[in-house]
Amino acid sequence: MALLRINNVSKHFGGLVANRDVSFDVDQDEVVGLIGPNGAGKTTLFNCIAGFYPVTSGTVVFDGQDITPLRDFQVARMGLARTFQIFQASGDLKVVENVMVGSFMRTGSRGSARRAALEVMEFLGIAETAGEMMTELPVAAQKRVALATALASDPKLLLLDEVGAGLNPSEIDGLIALLQRIHTERGVALLLTEHVLEMVMKLSHRVIVLESGQKIAEGEPAQVVKDPEVVRAYLGDHYVKRQKEGGDA
Amino acid sequence: MEAVKNAFDFGDMPRNELGLAAVVLAFLLSFPLMPHSSFGMATMIQFLMFSLYGMGWNLIGGYGGQVDLGKAQYVGIGAYTTAVMMIRWDVPFWFSMPVGMALAVGWSFIIGYPLFRLKGHYFTIATIATSLVLKDLFEVWNFVGGARGLEIPLKGDFPNWLYLQFREDYYYYYVILGMFLIGFIYMNGFRHSRLGYQLRAIKDNEHVARSLGIDVHWSKIKAYAVATAYVAMVGSFHACYNFNIEPEDTMSLDLSVLIAMMAMLGGAGSMWGPIIGAAILVPMKNYLGSWLGGQAGFAGIDLALYGMIIMFIAAAQPRGVYGIVEAMRARRR
Repeated sequence: MALLRINNVSKHFGGLVANRDVSFDVDQDEVVGLIGPNGAGKTTLFNCIAGFYPVTSGTVVFDGQDITPLRDFQVARMGLARTFQIFQASGDLKVVENVMVGSFMRTGSRGSARRAALEVMEFLGIAETAGEMMTELPVAAQKRVALATALASDPKLLLLDEVGAGLNPSEIDGLIALLQRIHTERGVALLLTEHVLEMVMKLSHRVIVLESGQKIAEGEPAQVVKDPEVVRAYLGDHYVKRQKEGGDA
Repeated sequence: MEAVKNAFDFGDMPRNELGLAAVVLAFLLSFPLMPHSSFGMATMIQFLMFSLYGMGWNLIGGYGGQVDLGKAQYVGIGAYTTAVMMIRWDVPFWFSMPVGMALAVGWSFIIGYPLFRLKGHYFTIATIATSLVLKDLFEVWNFVGGARGLEIPLKGDFPNWLYLQFREDYYYYYVILGMFLIGFIYMNGFRHSRLGYQLRAIKDNEHVARSLGIDVHWSKIKAYAVATAYVAMVGSFHACYNFNIEPEDTMSLDLSVLIAMMAMLGGAGSMWGPIIGAAILVPMKNYLGSWLGGQAGFAGIDLALYGMIIMFIAAAQPRGVYGIVEAMRARRR
């Protein structure tokens, strides 16, 4: 039984079709990458799964329960956490207080919320920033705090929306190792969208490709990148033809 | 048990703030023993009342980040409940005060539900509207005395603790000081509670808050209810302290604006903000206002002065006087 099952999900904004009949599964022991060119509907799909948008048609089943009609905060309480593509820390919360907001989802006690928050921060290697203000941290560190906050809510599945965006190559390497540890040591299933393809390829067991809101390919990372449909989606018809001609010659 | 521990946990406040708080506390406790005028005593009582109003305002206005200009309606509900129960059924203050708080909280749930569907200016306008509608209703409702209001008769010899009727003001002073201390300690506990953290996360970013399982709408309504309890409690006190109440002085827009202004001037979203704001504006209102209106013959000019202060604060340091203190502290580090 899959942890997350997406059945024929479509999302329309007026006349604009953002997602059309998308279906796939994510298992508890999996890392799944969701890729596609800009405007392919990745973030929209995330928002539909997380309950931020109501779907136009189709169902989302999580942990054996139909979560399609649930609101965003209810979905979160089921154990489906997410990070945001654009993350702004503006507030007057300290880092540890920020992470505690995540752990307060599972406990009403300040003491245990604090312990849980510090444990997660230790795990992610940001324990020493606990007393700092969010606004004083560099972007990469802020993103880790956002990750810590989501993890502190003790999720079964984590939706990661462009966590690598704006990071330099060495930071990306660190992030890949970190996400791997989150998956293996904490047993959290991951579903990630990413522009940094390298990251998706290294992390994912399975990759799903969206184009113009539709699923055009699914499979192991190494196979998917060779799929002519995928190449066309990313690079255009020309490239596919040239590749064929080159192959023939 | 942990709630009590949280309420008395001041560990996350800077040392010098706690030191200053101890000095202020000593001053407040001993003020009646020092030489003072009766006008000075009245000003101190008002300072404590407005500090409590401001603490209530701060929950939604400061921690929640939504400007509320309708607090006066809860002053009115608290004041009228106590007055009506005392006059008609001889109910003591200590019983009518919680009833007033409960009625006000009930009303806050009813209007809070649609109110918090609104954002920004729309929310602010709606809070003004609900407050003014309630005031208009009270002005034509004969049961509560209509526009002339109610006068609480004497219930026996002074000092009457049951009905909170005293000849000397220092009795009132210590009653409201007790409420102030309880209110402050409770607020400190609230700040450390799950709802307190969640409220600050909501102010920071509602989308992120929702993704962390926070029911934003319901959290705001709950915080609003706590805020209402503060305001209604002081409203009940106001009825006993003034002996007579009318819609104009308990439910007017002026009062709502004054409450909001003090908290904003002092620093919205901080523990000290409402207290600092009340400490500046209440004496200013009383001394400067009466001097300008009386001797100088410029009645009403003090209101224009408040307006200028607020504009200056909004432009220079939106987080108020406490924000200036924090900025200075950050620079020194």
